[in-house]
Amino acid sequence: MSHINPNFAEEIKKFGAKDFHLCFNCGNCTAICALSTKDESFPREMVRYSTLGLEEDIKSSLKPWMCYYCGECSTDCPRQAHPGELMMSLRRWLTAKYDWTGLSGLLYKHLSAYIIGFLLVIVGLLVFAGNLDYNQELIMHYGHYFEMFAIAGVFAVILLPNIVRMWLYTIINPKVKAPIKIYFKAFSELIVHMFTQKRFLGCEKTRENSIKWFEHFMLVISYLSLLFTTVFLDWFGSQNLFVIWLGYIESAIIFIVTFHFVLKRIQKTEALHKFSQPSDWFFVIWLLLMGITAFMVRLFIDIHLLENNFWFYLFHLTVLVQWAIIIVPFGKWTHFLYRSFAMYFVRIQELNNQIKK
Amino acid sequence: MKQRIGVYICHCGGNISDYVDVEQLGKLMEKEDGVIISKDVMFACSDANQKDMINDINEKQLDAIVVASCSPKLHTHTFRGVAERAGINPYNYAQVNVREQCSWAHSDKPMDATIKAYGLIRAGIGRVSHSEALESIEITTQKAVAVIGAGVSGMRAAIDLARMGSHVYLIEKESKVGGKIANTGKLFMTGENGSEVIERLNQRIKQLSNITVFTNANLGKVSGSIGNFFIDVNVGEELLKFNVGSVLVTTGFDFYQPQEGEYGYKLSENVITLQDFNKLIESSNGKLVHNGKPVKSVAYIYCVGNRQSKGDNKYCSRQCCTAAVHSSLRVHEKFEGVKAFHIHRDIRTYGKQELLYQESSRKGDIYIKFEEKEPPVVELKDSKPTIRVKDYLTSKKELTLDADLVVLVTGMVARADSSEISSKLKIPVGSDKFFNEIHPKLKPVETVIKGVYIGGACQGPKNITESVQSALSGASKINAVLRKGSIALEPIVARVNADACAWCNKCAEVCEYDAVKPIESNGKMIAEVNISTCTGCGICAPVCPTNAIEIAQYTDNEIESMIDGFMSKGEIEARELEHSAKVEAGKVGMKEYPEIWNHIIRAINGSSLTIPEIAAKTGIESNLITWHLMTMNRYSVVEPVGLNDEESYYKYKLKK
Repeated sequence: MSHINPNFAEEIKKFGAKDFHLCFNCGNCTAICALSTKDESFPREMVRYSTLGLEEDIKSSLKPWMCYYCGECSTDCPRQAHPGELMMSLRRWLTAKYDWTGLSGLLYKHLSAYIIGFLLVIVGLLVFAGNLDYNQELIMHYGHYFEMFAIAGVFAVILLPNIVRMWLYTIINPKVKAPIKIYFKAFSELIVHMFTQKRFLGCEKTRENSIKWFEHFMLVISYLSLLFTTVFLDWFGSQNLFVIWLGYIESAIIFIVTFHFVLKRIQKTEALHKFSQPSDWFFVIWLLLMGITAFMVRLFIDIHLLENNFWFYLFHLTVLVQWAIIIVPFGKWTHFLYRSFAMYFVRIQELNNQIKK
Repeated sequence: MKQRIGVYICHCGGNISDYVDVEQLGKLMEKEDGVIISKDVMFACSDANQKDMINDINEKQLDAIVVASCSPKLHTHTFRGVAERAGINPYNYAQVNVREQCSWAHSDKPMDATIKAYGLIRAGIGRVSHSEALESIEITTQKAVAVIGAGVSGMRAAIDLARMGSHVYLIEKESKVGGKIANTGKLFMTGENGSEVIERLNQRIKQLSNITVFTNANLGKVSGSIGNFFIDVNVGEELLKFNVGSVLVTTGFDFYQPQEGEYGYKLSENVITLQDFNKLIESSNGKLVHNGKPVKSVAYIYCVGNRQSKGDNKYCSRQCCTAAVHSSLRVHEKFEGVKAFHIHRDIRTYGKQELLYQESSRKGDIYIKFEEKEPPVVELKDSKPTIRVKDYLTSKKELTLDADLVVLVTGMVARADSSEISSKLKIPVGSDKFFNEIHPKLKPVETVIKGVYIGGACQGPKNITESVQSALSGASKINAVLRKGSIALEPIVARVNADACAWCNKCAEVCEYDAVKPIESNGKMIAEVNISTCTGCGICAPVCPTNAIEIAQYTDNEIESMIDGFMSKGEIEARELEHSAKVEAGKVGMKEYPEIWNHIIRAINGSSLTIPEIAAKTGIESNLITWHLMTMNRYSVVEPVGLNDEESYYKYKLKK
């Protein structure tokens, strides 16, 4: 038995939901969704849960992550209840629920928190650079180390515990008692979805135009490989021509794709770009900035301009730190992990059900 | 006995003659007693034939006519008109149905259809040979109307009746006019208060000198009939008597009163009806407070006392969904932060009222759907009611919710005193106890009692708009009856043979229209039929032990001669079937068409043509083309494909 919470609508609206309570349960959204199936049907059910404020049911559901937001449901909703945007908001809300620090929720709900965070990073970096007497070599050296520690630290302290919490909410609390071997059996699902976003290809819009998927796929691959190139191959310090060119190509792909993404959010021609939350803007803009500044830094190195334009490296480092300690652990970056883990957990549930039968 | 009868048997362009051998019947009827002329005609109802009939009547000095064609429903008045124009009494004419009852019903047995038609036509001849001339009954009517019930419907109808020139007696049981609307707050869609609407009507009524309003008035005895009703009205101690031409009943409805314990009603002061809640909304200011406690959440339970599959009230009251949603919006308009739960079975905010539902959803009202077999349960253990409900919009998930106030959205029921009104005015009531009209679509405000009309919610659940509409429709029907000062009624009524009648009361007992009353005549009591109330239904004639009652046009002589006529078989020869009849009977393939069909088919040949075009192309008279084309259409040889460019003729093409 679940208790109705009429105040939930207000809460979820803070995460970007629009007039979802206009829904009169016709089910058009579910009928039109290319990803919704008989067993895993959405988004109507999620709209209904949100209207009634059944938080526990939403928290234990993986369905918000199973939606890739093509926006068809919002386009075809006869009541303009924007089910697609609700699913998006539920993903933000779930991100906040999974996050043990509570900072995600704070950032999603308050733009001011983001701005304060960004400003603190700037001040911190200036103080840090000042302490090092603006020594270019030292700062670049620490900058390189920062990347390594940031990745390890954020993953160990924030992301890993949050994924464990997601697992608790969606597998343990709903009493999905899956034997260990199922976890191994389903593991390939995690890897496939993490690196290919295969499910995105099932969306109606992507089926019509698979460039959409390809763009996103290229962005993910370029982002991950640029991370590898800078951290482990020391792109900014490398003399290896292959590494240098690899970094150029990766960063160029990142800023070209994200430039297109920013453009689409400005143009708002598709339903999914109609409502952009600060977290969406920060995510694409910071990726764009990272791509472009990394590209420029390496270019400045190659044409020997960096010594006289050291401020530019500091700008790049600021963007990088803001990205690494705010957007990656608490912002939209996390959907990269939660989406793939959601598909993993869904597979575990499926396999477990098959065994039971 | 008529001795100069004319008989006309119709082909109906093949509709009849394809099966019934009308030509042979025409010849046979010539031999019947009293028949002067007998003809078979292509279309009896056509202008040309009507003219021929008038000529025949004048030339041959006919005194009665029989038309054997289609149903009397269709053409009784057509041929009565023919008779009248030719100078014979319209009741000396009989309509015999040889289409619906012969050719169409027995298309598989053309010979039997012809034999049956032979009998029916002979019965028609038998009937007119004994028919008598009748004159329609003229009644002078009182230009006054009693409107019973001064709610919004009665008041509005009274104004129109008065403006159309009738004197109106507006009779209200309560001490004030206005009914339920007078106590209602803001109304959708105009936003006026109910009391304002009533006040406006009341001002208008006061300006009209020919409306007399009686409050605290009760309807007493009613007698008389259309044009002349005699109505007693008790106003306090006083007994008033009026003579009116017609009565409009606008007595309205009652709200369903929940049983004790129904959804916790009367067990908790936090469970109230929508009507009480509306009063609370209107009387509260700034904060919604009930019994000293602030109300922050309201649960509306819909369909209380309505749509019961097992109870009496099976119907939907159609206005309560809107009323509840409207109240909820009124709450949002007046007070901050009140949550609303609408626990419904379906939301029926039809028409423009849908906007209210949408607005309420936008405001965040939560809609939960239950089914009758699993109704919500109101638990009153704590200070706040808790409701348990299985939500059919969430896979029947069992939900609980807390509400400061539970509002029961009650439906409409017939007034508790409706049986009193119905027995005085003899209006039939349905199983739902609302007053019944004659036909919900074709005679929606007429009752079986001529001159008594119903309007508004006394007839069944309606909202204000619909109530006023039906009351105004009743008003205009009444005006149509009363405006001339007299009306003509069908003379087909019961007649009493004073010598034979011994007043046993049997006829009065069976009469549904209260048309038979005893009177004294030549020192004994006999039955008297009120010819303005009698409908000629004939129920009294067979119950009379002394055979003292007969119905005009259905006298024993007429009925007996019809039976005699029908029983004789005659000498009918089998005939060669018409082509299309052979087709229907399966004796020939669809390829064999009459020659004229082949002409038409060749003319159309792949194109689509109008009748004049086909006539021009084939050189056949367009009337003949029309007859055959209609038959071809019926047999799916051709089909219409829309109008021509001038939109004056249909185009036809061959059907594959």
